[in-house]
Amino acid sequence: MSDRYPKINYRNGKRFFFRFSLMQRVQHIILFSCVITLGLTGFPQRYYNEAWAEPLFTFMGGIEMAPQIHRAAGVVLICLFFFHTGYWMYLFYRNKLKPLIKERNLGPGTFFKAFMSMEMMPNAKDGRDIVQMFKYLLYLSPKPPQYDRICWKEKFDYFAPYWGIPILGPAGLALWFRDEFTQIFPGWLLNAFYIMHTDEALLAGLFLFFVHWYNVHYAPEKFPLGTVFLTGYLSEADMIHEHYAEYVETMTEQGLAHEIKPQGHH
Amino acid sequence: MLHLIKTIINKVYIIFLMCFTVWYGFFLYPVIWGHGGADHDVDPTAATEANVDAEIAALLNEADMQEEQFASALREQGRIATTNLGYMVVEEEYVQGHFHHVGMTVEPDDSSLCIRCHGAIPHDKAKAIRAFLNMHAFYVACETCHIQPKTEGESWAFRWYDKKSGELISNPPGLTSLDKSMYGNYGAKIAPGRISSSGQFMFLNDEKERAFVEKYLQEKDRLGSTQQSKMKKVIHRRIDEDPLMCDGCHNDTSPYLPYDLLGYPKRRKQDLVGTEVAGMVAKYQEFYMPKFLLPGDNWKPEAPKPAAEKAEEDGAY
Amino acid sequence: MGVLPNKMLHSTAKRHTEAFAALLAMFLVIFMLGGLTWTAPAQAEDELNCVLCHKFRGLSRIDEEGRFRLFYINENLFMKGPHKRVMCLDCHRDIKKIPHDPAEKVNCTVECHLTEPSSKQNFTHAPVKEILDASVHSKYDKEGNLKDYPEDYPGCKDCHEQPLYRPLSFFKGESAGISRRGLSRCKSCHQTGDFAEDFYSHVTSRLQKTRESREIVETCAKCHADPAFQKRHGLDNVVASYKETFHGKAVTFGSDETADCMDCHVVYGESVHSIESHTEPTASTHKNNVAATCRNEECHVKAGEAIASYQVHTDYSNAEKYPMQYYMLKFFQGLMAAVLYFFIIVIFLELLRRLFPNFCFIKEKPTDAKSVLQNSSSEKGA
Repeated sequence: MSDRYPKINYRNGKRFFFRFSLMQRVQHIILFSCVITLGLTGFPQRYYNEAWAEPLFTFMGGIEMAPQIHRAAGVVLICLFFFHTGYWMYLFYRNKLKPLIKERNLGPGTFFKAFMSMEMMPNAKDGRDIVQMFKYLLYLSPKPPQYDRICWKEKFDYFAPYWGIPILGPAGLALWFRDEFTQIFPGWLLNAFYIMHTDEALLAGLFLFFVHWYNVHYAPEKFPLGTVFLTGYLSEADMIHEHYAEYVETMTEQGLAHEIKPQGHH
Repeated sequence: MLHLIKTIINKVYIIFLMCFTVWYGFFLYPVIWGHGGADHDVDPTAATEANVDAEIAALLNEADMQEEQFASALREQGRIATTNLGYMVVEEEYVQGHFHHVGMTVEPDDSSLCIRCHGAIPHDKAKAIRAFLNMHAFYVACETCHIQPKTEGESWAFRWYDKKSGELISNPPGLTSLDKSMYGNYGAKIAPGRISSSGQFMFLNDEKERAFVEKYLQEKDRLGSTQQSKMKKVIHRRIDEDPLMCDGCHNDTSPYLPYDLLGYPKRRKQDLVGTEVAGMVAKYQEFYMPKFLLPGDNWKPEAPKPAAEKAEEDGAY
Repeated sequence: MGVLPNKMLHSTAKRHTEAFAALLAMFLVIFMLGGLTWTAPAQAEDELNCVLCHKFRGLSRIDEEGRFRLFYINENLFMKGPHKRVMCLDCHRDIKKIPHDPAEKVNCTVECHLTEPSSKQNFTHAPVKEILDASVHSKYDKEGNLKDYPEDYPGCKDCHEQPLYRPLSFFKGESAGISRRGLSRCKSCHQTGDFAEDFYSHVTSRLQKTRESREIVETCAKCHADPAFQKRHGLDNVVASYKETFHGKAVTFGSDETADCMDCHVVYGESVHSIESHTEPTASTHKNNVAATCRNEECHVKAGEAIASYQVHTDYSNAEKYPMQYYMLKFFQGLMAAVLYFFIIVIFLELLRRLFPNFCFIKEKPTDAKSVLQNSSSEKGA
């Protein structure tokens, strides 16, 4: 991995820091394409009596086509969920378990420790970062939090769909195959699944539109569009701003400790 | 300098984003807490119904006949009934309890100053012919019949005006249409006016007159009740005691309206002054006019019926 | 044409009527002769040339009860439905002269001059009234007593407007309208008049719903969406809760294949006029019959019996009747509010911080690279 993706790339004499592999970028593109499609075909149904609902729904294929598109996108998303689960398990095995097996050191304790050391897992530093962030935001500290490779906001962003899909997906499937569903389960479960499906989707939609898009679109240094989701590499300035701890670590690792820039301000 | 400009732009953008954040907070509140039939309005035909519905509910609690009628009028307002036949869609104004299809919507006459108070269906006193009079009010301005030249030798010229804008327009093409269902539906009305020495046509109810009525309606609360009566007299100063009668126009010797000039084709003019209409008018004149001239004297309010009896009557299949 | 039930108008009008009846009858004859010379009547059905006056859209008035009465007949549309073969006077029977007095309300159960071809009897809508009178919509209860608020119970015209054909073409694939090529086959034998076209329209209209599902919901909504009506009869706002279901949403977006009011509330295969209360054991919505209604051969064929426990008319604000929906909704609303408002506050503070990046209430010395490394490596477990 480190061979294919050097930790620091130079382009026009500027440093770019590795963030996402091609595999991850492709998964993200599939994810957001599906989510946008699902939103455009789903929300007009939730808000059926708003003025914008019918034109948008008609544009998305109307009552004949839009539900089919919605289901197709949902199926792709569920597949992506399973693929991604396999993907992180593979990485976990390759990067964490294999070395332990080699060292003949695999036990419940070490397994748990290895599991928790995955970069997406929340940890104590996230708690400290949040405290430091509030101190900084309330003008009680001059130091912005120094985030590691994945900051707490990114972890939240990651787990939002990772918890959202298991809620939305089965509920959507139940509503889709309602006839078969009622062969086994009581009909009132469909009432529950409907609420789960529509309200979790609303939460996801409102969150993505504001919080996630703030981080990657609206924020002054990103506007109109952060490019890391396409290139996989983050500029030095953004790296200092968003992942200072990782920045220092990478620079030190690459023997560039003397060129480390101070964190400074936004 | 460039740095300063950049910083200013950056700060302005940040402030804009802060406003956006606050707006989103307010935007979210109803989005999060509104769900389900309870707060959704009932009828998608009217966009404003959510507001109106609350008013209606409040009104109905009083269970007052008058208020219920007001509520139902509010609900009816601007409502369109749609009938989808697959190969064609009939869109028409919603008329409560109406059986036959109207097949169209009608533009209101926004420019008539009389309608501002009297409404679009003003004729009511002459019971036998009020529907006919209202039919004429659909394409003939009030002042055409209700204001006639006072001075000897003076005569009005007549032109069409657009119902929506009130502007002078040329003769409507609908007049020559063979589609009978469009008779009278010209989107225009005939109104009297004067031709100035320079040859320019001026409607009797011109901008000045309209502005005066508008001003009165807006500011009448500032006037005392006596002054209001005075103003009403002023507004109605030119109205004739005896309006133009049916046979004024429906006669073939000297009709009041210049049909040819107004764009009526020969066959339609013939209908209007010929045996059918003029003949019927003659009969009406004979039978109904005496009452018509004394509007309202034969009208007595009737005591309201008990609910059950009324229901029997309403329930006719 | 003028449909006027009001007694007081009759009394006024009667005085004229008695005195002038003879003269008016004479005039009627003159008028009809005049009508013939004026122009050949466009339609044989309008023998009295009623549209001479009724073709004007403005023919209208406000009646004594404040209702807008419109006496306009759109001939083009009138000729597009089965009633085109009925004369004006067949329904408006009390009109005996022209110009006429205010007409009485039309009674749809009278026999008209058309014959019903299978029985050769005069046609009438009376059988429908019998079915309606046995349904929940009858204004009499089972003992024959008048129910409360009898004026709220519907007659024909409360649900039905003048019927219009909704023909279908099956010639090459199904589409709306008359197939001219299909019709040409009929016309090779049935050449006289409009017979083939009317028959085609009549039959193919009956092979589908004569009204779009959306219109059916609107028809029921005329009464059932009225808050005062609901209050009078102790009913829920079933129109609003229906529109919240997937059935309702699909219908709102123009689906004609999804269940509307009739599909669930009428026993499959019965007359739509026979709707019964869910408390009747024979009703389609009785708790023992719900599953059968859902699983009828055009709808949820493959569903299990358990589909009956799906709650269609859910009121999310009613915690007593629908506790699961109510509390689930509250949970998700709470979750949404917590997550979104937390992030809104964070983002707002972050933006505020960016306005004055160099300001701080508390002075601290800036960190060097070494301490950053120490801070973060402590989590990495080696």
